[in-house]
Amino acid sequence: MRRARVPGAYAPGDTVAHRADARSKLIALLIASVASFAAPAPWGLLLVATGLVTALVVSKTSPATVLMGLRPAALILALSVLSNAIVLVGQPGLSTDGLARGITVVCRIVLVVGFALSFSSTTAPPAIADALAALISPLRRLGVPVGSIATTASVALRFIPLTAEEADRIRCAQRARGARLDEGGPLRRLSSWGQVLVPLVVSLFRRADELASAMCDRCYLGEQTALLGPLGACDRALILLVAAWGVASLLL
Amino acid sequence: MIEVRDACFSYDGEKNVVDHVSLTLGPGERVTLLGRNGSGKSTLARLLNGSLTPTDGIVSVDGETGGLARLVGYVRQDPCNQIISPVVSDEVAFGPRNLGLTRDEVLERVDEALEACGISELRNRMTTELSGGQQQLIALAGVLAMHPRYLVLDEATSMLDQPMRRRVARIVDGLTDVGVLEISHRPALDGREVFLESGRIADQLSVFTGPSHVRPPKTQRARSRQQVLRSSGVTVLGRLHDVSLDFQGLVVLTGPSGAGKTTLARVLAGVLVPDSGSVTLDGRPVCPGDVGLAFQRPEDQLFCDTVFDDIAYGPRIQGLADPADAARGAARDLGIDEKLLDRSPFELSGGQMRRAALAGVVAPRPRAYVLDEPTAGLDAGGVDDLRSLASRLVCEGSSVVVITHDPDEWEPIAHTTVQLRDGRVERVVEHA
Repeated sequence: MRRARVPGAYAPGDTVAHRADARSKLIALLIASVASFAAPAPWGLLLVATGLVTALVVSKTSPATVLMGLRPAALILALSVLSNAIVLVGQPGLSTDGLARGITVVCRIVLVVGFALSFSSTTAPPAIADALAALISPLRRLGVPVGSIATTASVALRFIPLTAEEADRIRCAQRARGARLDEGGPLRRLSSWGQVLVPLVVSLFRRADELASAMCDRCYLGEQTALLGPLGACDRALILLVAAWGVASLLL
Repeated sequence: MIEVRDACFSYDGEKNVVDHVSLTLGPGERVTLLGRNGSGKSTLARLLNGSLTPTDGIVSVDGETGGLARLVGYVRQDPCNQIISPVVSDEVAFGPRNLGLTRDEVLERVDEALEACGISELRNRMTTELSGGQQQLIALAGVLAMHPRYLVLDEATSMLDQPMRRRVARIVDGLTDVGVLEISHRPALDGREVFLESGRIADQLSVFTGPSHVRPPKTQRARSRQQVLRSSGVTVLGRLHDVSLDFQGLVVLTGPSGAGKTTLARVLAGVLVPDSGSVTLDGRPVCPGDVGLAFQRPEDQLFCDTVFDDIAYGPRIQGLADPADAARGAARDLGIDEKLLDRSPFELSGGQMRRAALAGVVAPRPRAYVLDEPTAGLDAGGVDDLRSLASRLVCEGSSVVVITHDPDEWEPIAHTTVQLRDGRVERVVEHA
């Protein structure tokens, strides 16, 4: 069966980015996100952008993937640039200041999406969940159920491709029995999604139930042995390097 | 020792699905649990690992009555329903990580279980991109990594091809000190057999094995009346290469896993558009709905709230005069109890679900059928019913393509056997 490819979905591989520990990558992503939003334009932002280029190169993520990831937000981004650029009060017209401001914001968003995609395409979902658990583990002392949060994150990540798969399955089953889902005008096609939606929601609840009972069968009670060992020297070095880069981009 | 004493279980508080059952399973013992679809086999099995608690009576494992899941491993029929993690090694580690072991112990158990199942090379692969057989081995490894003292295999091999079945059997044979209860529709090769009928232990099953009563829908003359489902030069990149065949009468399509059988089924039914080539039914290009397609996993096919609505979906959407009547007729053909029609299809047992899915395919009375592994999970009575139904459809002038891992089941009544390998037609055998 053909699977829908989601931009940024984990793709197994053996690049430097794949081998790095998920925890150091997650910390690096946090630093990069802060830097993308806080770095002063244009020089700080340029330094952040070189960081993104490096991340894309070491993770072998193509820039096209980043653009694909931005597609759903393209309309909103375009609107925000326009609304910043067009002046309606006082002397109506185009404001270059506003245009520059809008473009800067869009650049920041592109940077964050790029970092996030290069992280998610090189880190397996369970490793993301484990890394998250490791990072929030100090909260355990405050009584936060860290294990459950990590598993919840892991299950949520698993359900993203599953939802696409399930919608595909129901459409396929309906077409096999003679439903004409891909015909007619846009309105008709949109309404045909309606008959997919109800069974989809029902079946996702069912899949969730099945998953829960499979987890019970394997003795899941909330707390699991952490599989991540101590951080290696390379990973510590990576965090230090990224931290230095982040600080530099803020100071420029 | 697993000891079941006078156990009852009821889902609705009225009817006992498991009715005063007593059963023992010793360490290292092999027991095969046989019974018809819906007789309560899976429910009984779920009592053994504690995922269901008996409404009456006692289930104890080595003297304990709580925390049974730790002692009794459970492998289900469908790997999709039991795989939790998207990465193989993480999936196998899931169970051991819940047992309070240290990190090194967990990793050791993962290595050991992957090794025992002979799939060490898959450890970093994604679970979703593996074949059904490989997924089932991973599910088994995930259970074995927990070092269970007993193992329940709930029709764990019914969706696998024969080499894969033998492989699983060898792995299970190697577990000499583990007690194994296997739910199956095939008589046991060794060990004890236990029969379940309507939730009770029976001495012998009233209808079970024995030769088929179905008479072949033979006579070449009758054959010319059937619709021809013709594939010409069908190619699906990476799956099928230039498949040109005429399907007429009852055709068995067989071949090893990954040969492209399911892909061909989808192309024949018009659900998957091939990269090149075409499929025609009686000279006209096939549209989805012209050919009845029964999916390999019945769950993939069902989507309505009730069994009745699901069966009636095809007749309704295709504008038949009396969809309700067509649906009732199809339900009768497949031996589905009237009482089940108002239930959700997903509450049914595996075999009943299969019947409901098949009824949905037959109900609109298409002129050709493609049935993908239609007998997986069906009891012997169900297999017989299905064979006679297929014969009848053929006699009425439809062509029926049956995809199967067990050609022996179908060959006595088939006109033609087609063997696929690596996406190509390897052999076509006409039966006299």
